[in-house]
Amino acid sequence: MVDVSAPTKWLLRLLAVGYVFFLVAWPVALVVKETFSDGLGNLVEALTDSQVTGALQLTLMVALWAVVINTLFGVGISLLLVRYEFPGKRMLSAMIDIPLSVSPVVVGLALLLVYNGRTGWFGPSIEEAGYQVIFDTPGMIMATCFVALPLVIREVVPVLHEIGDDQEQAARSLGANAPQTFWRITLPSIKWAVVYGVVLSLARSLGEFGAVKIVSGNITGRTQTATLVVEAKYQNFQQSTAYATSFLLIFVSIACLVVVAFLRPKHDS
Amino acid sequence: MSIDVSGLTKTFPSTGSGRRGDFVALDDVSVSLPTGQLTALLGPSGGGKSTLLRIIAGLDTADTGTVTIEGTDATRLPPQKRNVGFVFQHYAVFKHMTVAKNVAFGLEIRKRPKAEIAERVDELLKLVHLSQFAHRLPSQLSGGQRQRMALARALAVEPSVLLLDEPFGALDAKVRKELREWLRRLHDEVAVTTVFVTHDQEEALEVADEIVVINEGRVEQVGTPDQLYDDPANDFVMSFLGEVTHLSGTVVRPHDIDVSTSPQFAGAVEGTVSRMLRVGFEVRLHVLTVDGEDVSVVMTRTHARSVGIREGSTVWLTVAAGATVVPSMRAASQVEMAG
Repeated sequence: MVDVSAPTKWLLRLLAVGYVFFLVAWPVALVVKETFSDGLGNLVEALTDSQVTGALQLTLMVALWAVVINTLFGVGISLLLVRYEFPGKRMLSAMIDIPLSVSPVVVGLALLLVYNGRTGWFGPSIEEAGYQVIFDTPGMIMATCFVALPLVIREVVPVLHEIGDDQEQAARSLGANAPQTFWRITLPSIKWAVVYGVVLSLARSLGEFGAVKIVSGNITGRTQTATLVVEAKYQNFQQSTAYATSFLLIFVSIACLVVVAFLRPKHDS
Repeated sequence: MSIDVSGLTKTFPSTGSGRRGDFVALDDVSVSLPTGQLTALLGPSGGGKSTLLRIIAGLDTADTGTVTIEGTDATRLPPQKRNVGFVFQHYAVFKHMTVAKNVAFGLEIRKRPKAEIAERVDELLKLVHLSQFAHRLPSQLSGGQRQRMALARALAVEPSVLLLDEPFGALDAKVRKELREWLRRLHDEVAVTTVFVTHDQEEALEVADEIVVINEGRVEQVGTPDQLYDDPANDFVMSFLGEVTHLSGTVVRPHDIDVSTSPQFAGAVEGTVSRMLRVGFEVRLHVLTVDGEDVSVVMTRTHARSVGIREGSTVWLTVAAGATVVPSMRAASQVEMAG
């Protein structure tokens, strides 16, 4: 490494720490401080508000479904991208990154155009079959899936590249069929990448706002997720409840990251 | 015949831009590998020998041709149904399993009773001298130990053929030498039909019962090490199995040339010693003949001294009686040392 003089070293450290402090740590800390400004009162108040508890339950349900779906598809698509050659592969790989670059609000509008019950492409026929997508849970799960789509894939693909297919070929030559090879060899090798992708997806799904706001219709007590409640409460001058709900969202996300940091082995070998 | 391969052709589509055409890895290859023997597929890198082995194992598919293993047509069988053991150059160990679990893998897939698996794993680990490492992870083993574990893993399922793809290629020279001797002894003990790929002629000559020389996707010659060494089919086989030089239109080994300081025999070629290099007990000479050939000659130090050869002296070269020679395929003007 290049040697840097001591004052420069300290200046660089100060700059980095200061940057993260003013951008992330301080604002988040203030939310926590506001939450506990009168002890546990704000939290208790928020947790006894049926609008908040309902929203939390809905958020959890939507997030869990989205994570399960994204994990299954994510691992499948990763295997497809790494282990197989097919025309259009690069296009598929590029499309997977779209959710990272497109604003969630646009995602919500796009889904609305396709699935809404009156003028959408599929909407009317699906609704005739008895399913409501837009302004209901399926639409919210779809929107959440969309925005969190790349997270599992982008964690798993590099690991699949790195481990190569030697072990899988060895398993095949020892008599394992495709599912046996996947469960016994591939999955244990990519386990930590999948866990990490799941945690990132969960955190992203819990915090989704823009896309869900549009497809859910933001109906109080029915299709309002935790993030939407935060906005609604804040605009209704119930700041303390908004802070308390925000705190719960932050808490779950950080808890996820901490759990993984502890679970993950120090070096993957 | 244990493995019969006939008419195998395999081309890989060219991937690099600007490269012309597809790469032909195997060009109408037919060969029979006998039961119970240790056969080496020998040839230069990129010659197609690994591709042939992978097609026998079912890890690659041929464009045309058939593979028959123990009388069964295996051309369309998936690898897990061929009952072959495969050992990879880079071991392909299951990193997340202990040594014992690695060896047990094939048996667990076959749902054998637990007691039987434990017994067989024990036996195999003893065979490859890894008993004390049974509960270690592969990352705690050396390269040679990992490869022995991979071998035990392949043997566990009692394969009808054992295929090894450059099994010692990633190991250092000393371990490689030990392991190849050990493989020979192991084969005499277990006697499973074994095919291994190598680009090291010394390895093939030392270990194999039979050698198949493969170059540019074609079989150049099949035979025992002695047959190949003493009676090479062409100058490629001859030059690949050892050092060669060219003397008056023939390919000959440098140690099979007699040097004298006077024209004793008819047909002796006159030349001047242009360079003399001593390496241990042997002396390497470069002789520039009057025809313009640069011939290299190897002799013992003692012999060189007794004849009285030094740089600049005029000598006469003849091919020793009983030496292996093949006609040179190259024009005299292009003569250069090969090997």
